[in-house]
Amino acid sequence: MKPKKGLALCLAVAAVLLIAALLTGSPGRAESVQEAMRDAVLHGTGQISLLHLKNANPGLISALLVTALLLGMAALLRVFVIPRFQYVPGRLQLVIEEAVGLFQRMARTNSPHRNRFLGLYLFTAASYVFVGTLFELLGFQAVTVHGRPITLPAPLSDVNAAIALGCLSYLVILSGGIAGSGARGVGRTLKEFSLPISMSFRLFGALLSGLLVTELVYYYISLSFLLPVVVGVLFTLLHALIQTYVLTMLTALYYGEVSEPDQPKQKKKAAPSAAQI
Amino acid sequence: MPLNIDWQQILLHWMNLAILAGGLYFLLYKPVTQFMAKREEHYRTLEEAAAQKRAEAEALRQQYQAQLAAAEEELHRRRTQAEEQTAAQTAEQLTAAREEARRIVSQARADAEQVRSQTRLSAQRELRELAAEAAKKLAAQPDEDPFETFLTLSEGGGDHAGQ
Repeated sequence: MKPKKGLALCLAVAAVLLIAALLTGSPGRAESVQEAMRDAVLHGTGQISLLHLKNANPGLISALLVTALLLGMAALLRVFVIPRFQYVPGRLQLVIEEAVGLFQRMARTNSPHRNRFLGLYLFTAASYVFVGTLFELLGFQAVTVHGRPITLPAPLSDVNAAIALGCLSYLVILSGGIAGSGARGVGRTLKEFSLPISMSFRLFGALLSGLLVTELVYYYISLSFLLPVVVGVLFTLLHALIQTYVLTMLTALYYGEVSEPDQPKQKKKAAPSAAQI
Repeated sequence: MPLNIDWQQILLHWMNLAILAGGLYFLLYKPVTQFMAKREEHYRTLEEAAAQKRAEAEALRQQYQAQLAAAEEELHRRRTQAEEQTAAQTAEQLTAAREEARRIVSQARADAEQVRSQTRLSAQRELRELAAEAAKKLAAQPDEDPFETFLTLSEGGGDHAGQ
């Protein structure tokens, strides 16, 4: 009986809010949908002051908040959960161990020769991309330098964040090449010169498309009911998983490839001489 | 810059990522991986101890099996030896019995021969005595045919003997 009552209550609240929203109407748009979408890409007018030192894209503020959020959660886990770890794990311990072990195993599998730093990098990048993508669901509000309210987007929907992560992944791969096989590793990494661009813009494109679809949906008030449950939550969750997997898997694969130590060359068998024939 | 690319913000993102990586390493990644390694080591130690005990048990089992096989071999050897001894004793006793039987038979034959000789001598003596007695009677009755009288006497003529 209780679930049915709860469901009925939720439906009643949703109906009341829908009616109220339709009755009150929209205060009117300060910008057209084209301007809103252009601003979502270029952040020409939607910049936020960073501690009154510099005007920054909202993505940078989101990135700092995501980092604070992740470090805060990590600190809480470090203080309250990790000291109580048991040899036979409970549910939370299992989730934490699986989150760490997954990327450790990915690093070991793809780069069997050199993987300690790679495991850490994959774990960090995966946490950042996954939590950063889901961050847009929280709907944190900020005020732009022009005094307009703005919902903080996913950090990687900012081209600067995507370029930073893509280039950093490339630098990590390059460092693996240098540590693994020296100058030959550098050569192998530089051969993939298009990698930082493809990684950066893949991230940027994927996250930006999500942002644009969400912007488009929320721009019209009639689409703001029920549809965000599917578009906002499921779509965001799905592409958070996909982008995390793609970035970490690509980085691990290239890292393993360029850090592989050189195999000693096998001497070619001497061709039989004419006299022997 | 095209697409509003700002190198200063990119550097700030890098700084942010560096802080995140360092923080996550010390707060989460390192303690969790250390714990996982410790647990792996614990179970590896347990597994090694179990394997060692299993090996010891196997060695002990093989040792007992070898001892059992040696005992069985010894048992077989002793049984064979006993059978051989029994067979030898039987053969010896059989030989002795045959020798005894041969001796008894020889003795019996000798005794029988002796008895026969004594019987023959006794018969001869009786015959001689009979002949002498018959001759004496014949001499005492001159009118009778001596041959007939002899035959009568020799066929057991009790009349004459009785007379």
